[in-house]
Amino acid sequence: MTTCQDTESRLTLFVDGDLSADERAVVAAHLDACAGCRGVARDLERLRRTAGALGPVTPPDHVWLEVAGQIGAPGPRAWVRRATTDPRVALRQWLGLAAMLVVITLSAYVVLRTTRQDPAATAGNAAATGSVQALTEELTSAMHHYENAITQLEALAKGDSQVIDPVVAATLQQNIQTIDGAIAESRSALGQSPENEPARESLFEALKSKVGVLQATVNLMNQMRKGDQAAAAEAAAAFGKKS
Amino acid sequence: MAAHADLALAEQCRAHLPGAFEQLYRAHAPRLFGLACRMVGRHEAEDLLQEVFLTAHRKLGMYRGESSLGTWLFRLATNHCLDHLRSKRARFAALTDELETEPVAAGASSGAVVGVVDRMDLERALASLPPGCRTVFVLHDVEGCEHQEIAALLGIADGTSKSQLHKARMRLRGLLGSAGGVRGSN
Repeated sequence: MTTCQDTESRLTLFVDGDLSADERAVVAAHLDACAGCRGVARDLERLRRTAGALGPVTPPDHVWLEVAGQIGAPGPRAWVRRATTDPRVALRQWLGLAAMLVVITLSAYVVLRTTRQDPAATAGNAAATGSVQALTEELTSAMHHYENAITQLEALAKGDSQVIDPVVAATLQQNIQTIDGAIAESRSALGQSPENEPARESLFEALKSKVGVLQATVNLMNQMRKGDQAAAAEAAAAFGKKS
Repeated sequence: MAAHADLALAEQCRAHLPGAFEQLYRAHAPRLFGLACRMVGRHEAEDLLQEVFLTAHRKLGMYRGESSLGTWLFRLATNHCLDHLRSKRARFAALTDELETEPVAAGASSGAVVGVVDRMDLERALASLPPGCRTVFVLHDVEGCEHQEIAALLGIADGTSKSQLHKARMRLRGLLGSAGGVRGSN
């Protein structure tokens, strides 16, 4: 007679049908006589079935936008309708903003990290008061930088919005609205409790997300503008082959 | 051999045909994102998915159609996830080793009964498994890979893959048997 311990170690192989006929018969005989092991086998079988039914997960839209922006977007070229802005101007604007965003993100990260790691800054003693104030000022300043970047990116994104297909534009707008909702919620929480660190982090995360979506939008528009001639020639050649 | 449609799509991507790479992305991203979410967590899965498709875009020239595009991308994504876990493990080596060598706690007589397994509960419980047995569970039970294939991907013996799977299932059974704890852990 096999023990429960011997049987249990073989139950995964049993439910997967990976045991030889002889071994299977031994385990089956034990299960007939042992309700405990039978219960384990039944649970493992349910787990296996449920796991097998876990399906794909749809990624958020901005992932594709980031990918499309970085690969020079042969895909998004299908969304190009017309290019009206001087690409050199748009590229210069974009490079300037990109450099600024790197600085802002780094400074916000350093400030948030400092806030978390400096226990004195939250202890509330007299010596720490100055440093708390300085950190608050730096955070406010970083937040303003984010907001400025968002304003400028929004202006760029709206400046020539016709280059993006209306369906894609609607998706982007929906993403922005969701993020704006999160920003409003975090601001409201911070308004009630300015020292609320999770709310502050949520606000930064939401601002960062908004910058990310806007970056992806502008990047996409620039890729379209940059690749226009080649894309047109490519599309013409492709249509030529089809016809 | 890969189907003709896969080879044609790969060729269109290589030729930068408008919309081709987006078609590839739309067809395969959900499965790869599911894999990444379960292996490394949703937060990091977005970055990993981006990396996978950027790598795929660079390497599509090497795709010769020996396997389907889905399989090719799946291997690429799995390797990205494993690299990510390895680099994470290097950073937290001591903790992970401890978790990996911990014996299976739940016994046949422990009385943990799963009942009807809720998918959301299972997703949450999965996240609390150590990376080693979680990876094997995801590849085997969720993605349907064979132990031989998993062993080759992870560089381990078939038997190790089987024992890790058993460990994962028994741990999940224990976690789902006390679902309140599972819900609280995430």
